[in-house]
Amino acid sequence: MLARDAENLFWTGRYLERAEDTARLLDVTYHGVLESPVGEMDMVWRAALDVAGLLDVYEESGRPLTAAAVSAFLVHDLDNPGSIAAAVERARENVRTVRESVSTECWEAVNSFCLRLRARDLVSDVRRQPHDVYGFVRQNCQAFAGVASETLPRDDAYRFLRLGWNLERAEWTCRLLRVRQVHLQAPGFHEWVGTLRAASGLEAYRRHAGGSMDPVAIVQFLLLSDSFPRSVFFAVRAAEDALRELSGGTNEGRPLRLLGRLRAELEFAEPLEILQSDFEGEMLRIEAAIRAVSAAVSVEFFINLHHLDLHTVRLVAAEASGVDPTRSPSPSQAPSPAPSPTKSPATDPSTGEDAP
Amino acid sequence: MSGGLFSDYEVGGFFDEVFGPDGVVRDHYAPLLERLGDFTVEDLASRERQRDASFRNQGITFTVYGEDEGIERTFPMDLMPRIIDAEEWSVVEAGLEQRVRVLNLFLDDLYVGDRLAVRDGIVPWWVLSSSDGFRREAFGIPVPLGARCLVAGIDLVRGDDGRYVVLEDNVRSPSGISYVVENRVAMTRLLPQLFADIPVRPVGYYGRSLRNALTRVAPPTAGDDPTIVVLTPGVYNSAYFEHVFLAAHMGVELVEGRDLVVDEHIVFMRTTKGLKRVDVIYRRIDDVFLDPVVFRPDSTLGVPGLLAAARSGTVTIANSIGNGVADDKAVYAYVPELTRFYLGEDPILDNVPTYLLWDPEQREHVLAHLDQLVIKPVAEAGGYGITIGPSATDEELAGCREAILADPRGWIAQEVVSLSRHPTLVGEDVEGRHIDLRPFVLTSDGVEVIPGGLTRVAMRKGSLVVNSSQGGGSKDTWVLAGPHSGGDLDRPSGIEGEDIETGRGVS
Repeated sequence: MLARDAENLFWTGRYLERAEDTARLLDVTYHGVLESPVGEMDMVWRAALDVAGLLDVYEESGRPLTAAAVSAFLVHDLDNPGSIAAAVERARENVRTVRESVSTECWEAVNSFCLRLRARDLVSDVRRQPHDVYGFVRQNCQAFAGVASETLPRDDAYRFLRLGWNLERAEWTCRLLRVRQVHLQAPGFHEWVGTLRAASGLEAYRRHAGGSMDPVAIVQFLLLSDSFPRSVFFAVRAAEDALRELSGGTNEGRPLRLLGRLRAELEFAEPLEILQSDFEGEMLRIEAAIRAVSAAVSVEFFINLHHLDLHTVRLVAAEASGVDPTRSPSPSQAPSPAPSPTKSPATDPSTGEDAP
Repeated sequence: MSGGLFSDYEVGGFFDEVFGPDGVVRDHYAPLLERLGDFTVEDLASRERQRDASFRNQGITFTVYGEDEGIERTFPMDLMPRIIDAEEWSVVEAGLEQRVRVLNLFLDDLYVGDRLAVRDGIVPWWVLSSSDGFRREAFGIPVPLGARCLVAGIDLVRGDDGRYVVLEDNVRSPSGISYVVENRVAMTRLLPQLFADIPVRPVGYYGRSLRNALTRVAPPTAGDDPTIVVLTPGVYNSAYFEHVFLAAHMGVELVEGRDLVVDEHIVFMRTTKGLKRVDVIYRRIDDVFLDPVVFRPDSTLGVPGLLAAARSGTVTIANSIGNGVADDKAVYAYVPELTRFYLGEDPILDNVPTYLLWDPEQREHVLAHLDQLVIKPVAEAGGYGITIGPSATDEELAGCREAILADPRGWIAQEVVSLSRHPTLVGEDVEGRHIDLRPFVLTSDGVEVIPGGLTRVAMRKGSLVVNSSQGGGSKDTWVLAGPHSGGDLDRPSGIEGEDIETGRGVS
């Protein structure tokens, strides 16, 4: 398939996973705070930003660590490329550019989700009925996942979507586990319940480990479970499967080798060992490994280094020298600056279309 | 008749598509009106709401270029279809086929032939070489089968006497076919009852026909199953929905310029598995953006080296480069003569009477009657820059006069065609609105006319401008099957699913 289409689908998966994860995290954080000592408010919201990977950006902006300000930043701030609204907008934009390679149902799912999200008064809803907003986002992301799973043929388009989806999920669950374990001082019953809920795993965990909140069992469950679809191991393995199919069933290619090593390591890991060693360091290392896979995917499939040609080289040079290369940026690219859907020219001379 | 809906309807002195001058319903509309009689205004209003929601969710939109950012709009489809009976259509079809044949012969003669029409004095050379759409760079680029207007959209209108006349030819990148197909799908879902027992000819197979035509014009090197792509300027283009539609209906890749690369005069697309050779490009990018080596050097929508590849015959570009010369409204005036010249036939479809303003006599006449004529810039499409004399202010007419005197080659004048009207739902009423018709015609080893086309409606009362960019709407257009048009000819084998799409048999 077209490299550009593949890249757009990969990022579509990442954006929608991110939107869903953010909604669940905010839901848990907001409602968890209601039962927390007042003094811990700052810490709880700081942790939420940390899980989202946006703590540095947020602190630089000098905004307060309050429920209202952090929620606004993570839900409807379109200048924050990691916000729910921005992620959904970009997912729609990306699917729109690959519409001919996905099912109509897929497009309609993300299009109507985005249009309905736009139509909501998020500023007011986040304050008055946050649970409703977060439920709405979660359900629509899951609806898209279901539609994709039930209407797309198992071809490369589907594999790239799944690859992006699972890499985002693996990294997110890692950060969730690390931040909630390390930064919430001495997490107790209440915090662990929140962590599991943020990963949609509370009921599954209870059936798996009974009612007690045992750190070793929780790490085992969220990091290493081979049956829970939001565990790091499960997501890594799903990503690996997608990559192997993309490589024609072989183990060739750098992204697959990197991911295969990580999967093997997780598959045979010992939870107690991880907890008792430098837990934070271990988790940071896994997160970095997942990011390395993502970068390798980009080089292997999207940039296609073997096929660089003079035109591309000239454009790269133009971009580097600050000359506007006049092309509209690809709507993909995650947390880096917004793809600012380039203002369209006042008239569009480029097609000579005789508009109907 | 049909009860309340039409009780206050007035024909208003125009040619009305539904009602004859005596106010009696024309025969081919009778079954439709009878069925519409079962609906109340509220029923139709609720269908309109469903229609809007469905078009929005499906993203069937075009982009309006505003001050600084494009807005996605739906193209409003009126719920009352336009009907053309079989006999009437057979004349239109023959006329379209003839006209498109001529345009193809003319362009092929101009760019790779001996320029017979110029040599024999049918069209002055300076008129062609001064046209905005003329491309010297296209000389000598071969086009298999001479199919230069692979897709043509010929705009037709009906005047007071009900005759169809050609308003303009669009042979660069005519758009609108996606609305033809989507309007039909929408109608069969919203008002399936209307179709019962009316033999409406299907339109949903367009993608297959287009793919067949593109396959036939592939270079000889391509083999039986050429790789075809649709080339789009990108997601921010006004017709992006249509580009997606075409790629999806043909089952081919939708590419942007940056997805293509030319190496040794061969065009490739960048895929996740490396470079893949491309044989046919259906492009929806204007000529001057196609190749920065030859045309605008600042264009990144195009592909460097594309023209050289086309010249060497390794890839076919459709529609062909330089077709714009035939869209020129001054060149349009010569099409009747060209028809006699190339085919030895009289044109079946007439032009609107047109004045060429570099001719002193014609110019004098036009300047003396500006307030009775329509003045159009020769190179614009989409209804931009038109002055309609009878409704223009003195100031506008003065501006027009000045513009004509400054650049007589840049303008044409035409007699006002009052445009037929069609009953159209406006709020809670049915009122007459002016309409035109853009049929689509495919050329490869033969010429294929898609039944019907896009009926555009000037939604504003009294307006004669039907373009979507100027607030126009559309209608589903039904061509009725006649004794000679039914059956297999219209339903190519292998598209049995079509019946579901058109809602036939649903009642």
